[in-house]
Amino acid sequence: QDLAKKNTANKAVVDARRRMLQEWLAWRESMRQMLEEEGAEIELNAGRVKQDTDDEVEEVE
Amino acid sequence: MRPILLSGHERALTQVKYNPDGDIIFSVSKDHVVCAWFSHNGERLGTYHGHQGALWTVDVDPTSSLLATGGADNTMRLWEVKTGKLLKTWEFATSIKRVEFSSDGKLLLGVTEKRSGHLSTIVVYEINPDPAAEQTDEQALRIVCDESKATVAGFSYLSHYIISGHEDGSVSQWDAKTGELLFSTQVHEDDMQITDLQWAPDRTYFITASKDKTAKLVAADSLDVLKSYPTDTPLNSAAITPVKDYVILGGGQAAMDVTTTSARQGKFEARFYHKIFMEEIGRVRGHFGPLNYVAVHPQGLGYCSGGEDGYVRVHHFDKPYFDFMYEVEREQAQAQANL
Repeated sequence: QDLAKKNTANKAVVDARRRMLQEWLAWRESMRQMLEEEGAEIELNAGRVKQDTDDEVEEVE
Repeated sequence: MRPILLSGHERALTQVKYNPDGDIIFSVSKDHVVCAWFSHNGERLGTYHGHQGALWTVDVDPTSSLLATGGADNTMRLWEVKTGKLLKTWEFATSIKRVEFSSDGKLLLGVTEKRSGHLSTIVVYEINPDPAAEQTDEQALRIVCDESKATVAGFSYLSHYIISGHEDGSVSQWDAKTGELLFSTQVHEDDMQITDLQWAPDRTYFITASKDKTAKLVAADSLDVLKSYPTDTPLNSAAITPVKDYVILGGGQAAMDVTTTSARQGKFEARFYHKIFMEEIGRVRGHFGPLNYVAVHPQGLGYCSGGEDGYVRVHHFDKPYFDFMYEVEREQAQAQANL
C-alpha cells in the first residue's frame, strides 16, 4: 500500500491499476447490458427521470 | 475550490441532499427544521416547519416536487417542495432514521428505530406523485429486522431489492415486492454499525460507511464487496461521484470520544479516494466537528457536507478536479478516442 501511494509508481503498480480499470469497465458494461435487457430507462439515464409534460398536454386537450 | 458556508441551522446537521437538478440542497438537523438552499450561492430559499424533534433524514423525489423527512418525533412526513405545505404525516412507535424514494419516486421507504418492545422495521408506502393527491396510510410492505436493527436502507435499480445496512455491520437484500429476505452478508467488521448507504446513479451498486473506519463498494445483486476504502477514523457517510471515478468519505471522532479535542486530532476532513484504484487522492478540511453526511451534486459538479458543527459546506469542483487522471485512465481515454 505504501508503495502504491508513491508517485513513482513502478510497473507492477501500473499494471495492477490497468487490470483494475479493465475489470471495472467490464463489470460496468455487464451491468449496463443487464439494465438494457430489463428495460431500466431511469437507471440507464443515470438515475434521472425524463420529465414528461403529459399532464400539461392533457390540460390543453 | 472556495466553499460556501450555509449557516442557518442551530444544531448538528444529520443529512443533506441535492435535488435531481442539483440546484437545490435540502438539509436536516437536530434543530427540528428542514432547510432548502440554492446550491450555487447558498441563499436560503425556504424552511419546512412542523417536526417536533430532532430530524434524522431527508429525501427528495425525482421530480423535485415532494420532500420526505423523518425524525425523533416518531413521524415520517411528506411535504410539497414548492410551497412548503405539509402533505402527509405517518406516525410510528419509534424514530425514523432514514427515508428514501425509489428511483421512479413511486415508493417511499422509512427505517424505524429499535426500542424496548419495538423491533426495527423497514416500511414502504406507495406514493402519489401529485402534490394535490391524498397519500395512503396503508403500508405496501413492512419488514421486521429481528436479527440486527437496520440503520440505513434504500431501493436498488428498478426497485427489485431493498438493501439495508445494519447495526452489526451486515448488509441485507430483500425482495422489494414480497419483503422476503434473499441474502445477508457481513460487509463490515462485526458489531461495527453501518452509518450510511448511498447509491451509484444507476443503483446497480452502492457504497456503505461504517464505524469500523472503512467504506465499501458493494454490488446490489450479488452483495459482493467490489472495493474497500480504509481510513483512520470512524465514518459517518460515503458518497459516489458521477463523472469522475471518486468516492468521498466523511466522519471523525466525536468530541466526547477523544481525550484531547482539536480539529486536527478529530480528523474532520472529507476524504477523496479513487473509486477503482482505492487510493486516497485528497482531503478537504473546514468543519470543526465530525462530518455527519456528504452528498454529491447529481451531475458531479460539486459536493456538500453537513457537520456536527451545525454548518453545511458547499464545494464547487474546479478544473483541476476534472482534469486529474491516472496514467492508465489517460491510456484508456486515448484508446476510446481512437476507436
